[in-house]
Amino acid sequence: MLNQLNPRFRLTALWAGTVVSALLCVWAPWLRGPGLELAGLTADWPLMWVVCWSVRRPLWQGAVAGLAMGMLQDSLSFGQPTHAFSLMVVGILTARLQKQRYMREDFISVALIVFGMVVVSSSLMALQWSLLSSLSFGWDAGSGVGVGEGPRSLDSIWFNHQRTTLTSAILSSLWAPALYLPLRLWWQQEQDPE
Amino acid sequence: MSGIRRWWKQYGLGVTTSSLVLLSAWGIRQTQGAWLAETYRWATQIWHPVVDYQTVIAQSASQELRAQVAELQNQNRQLRQLLDFSEQIEGEGIPAAVIGRGADQWWQQATLSRGSNHGVKTGDVVMAPGGLVGRVQHITPNTSRVLLISDPTSRVGVMLSRSRQMGVLRGTGSQMAVLEFFDKEPSVEVGDTIVTSGLSSLYPAGVVVGKVRAVDLDASPAPQAVIELSAPLGLLEWGLIYSYAQSTEPTL
Repeated sequence: MLNQLNPRFRLTALWAGTVVSALLCVWAPWLRGPGLELAGLTADWPLMWVVCWSVRRPLWQGAVAGLAMGMLQDSLSFGQPTHAFSLMVVGILTARLQKQRYMREDFISVALIVFGMVVVSSSLMALQWSLLSSLSFGWDAGSGVGVGEGPRSLDSIWFNHQRTTLTSAILSSLWAPALYLPLRLWWQQEQDPE
Repeated sequence: MSGIRRWWKQYGLGVTTSSLVLLSAWGIRQTQGAWLAETYRWATQIWHPVVDYQTVIAQSASQELRAQVAELQNQNRQLRQLLDFSEQIEGEGIPAAVIGRGADQWWQQATLSRGSNHGVKTGDVVMAPGGLVGRVQHITPNTSRVLLISDPTSRVGVMLSRSRQMGVLRGTGSQMAVLEFFDKEPSVEVGDTIVTSGLSSLYPAGVVVGKVRAVDLDASPAPQAVIELSAPLGLLEWGLIYSYAQSTEPTL
């Protein structure tokens, strides 16, 4: 569809589409509705986008995309601990898998990769949380009632990890093909420009 | 020289794009996503629920009113003994629609459709039908991000309305929260109403928070109770933002 256009304009359109899709995925968790929510949790849209992006790309592109998406997610929730680290690892691992070498088919494998990557990223987040809480970093330790925030206890971190990971992984992998298909078609325009 | 040029020809585009992408993402992160929040609000504004404050008052949960009456009766009885009750919420609340929920599964947050343009400040208290919701954590011109009291990092100084036993309320990421008592043998019963205590400097005293659902007096290090929060945090559609002058005296 974009092929008839002038090459420079085509490239700009491709990039604009990519950026818009990424932004939509950053905003998506804010939106709740039927099918988007399971037990109060929503799919991990930024992670799904990173997986879709990295699955057929070199390692460094996966890392850059993961870092950027993580920082955007930080900006909409809270930057400590950072999402950039776990999403960068997800980008690198997904690119590293070299899926196309041994699996031709797309949708189910993307869903499987998303499932695994949600587990990886939420475990990395839980590890960061544990580290932060054991250092009590950023919190005024020792003050009691007056303080509106305090460190999470290790119990609550790993309980939350357990509670959210499976739900979020299932929901994300169910939605993954629906995100992957349009993105794949979009990026195909870039790869075969005839 | 030609080596550099060749390198640049091969990798220049990738390096430039990557640094551009990373720089802008970092910039957005440093501004706490102000631009993202504002754009989202602008794009979704036709779907924002209209906050009709009159109807909402008419429909407001009778549970909250009954709990407030009980609380006022108790307050009256004990007013002489408590000095902290001079603190009250000032002015009328700013009604605001909830336009976004938590952006990941680690934080219990909500984004409201009112910001500094409407007089919201960081640290303002947010309430909804049912009771306390949370505190404003970050503002942009037209949005504000609220840390809900169900967040595991949230701490609220509370007390039992009936027996005046004090404690700290900690979120668990769900509608249930955990109350840790200061007292070793607190007088607490299932069904007791929980309100914010006068010792909390971040919240006005006497705001309804929830009800006791279960009690564990043998918990270590302090006796605990499971509290069901009375404001339906998972179904929140709008909130009222109150500015609250924090007491400057040190607490505890």
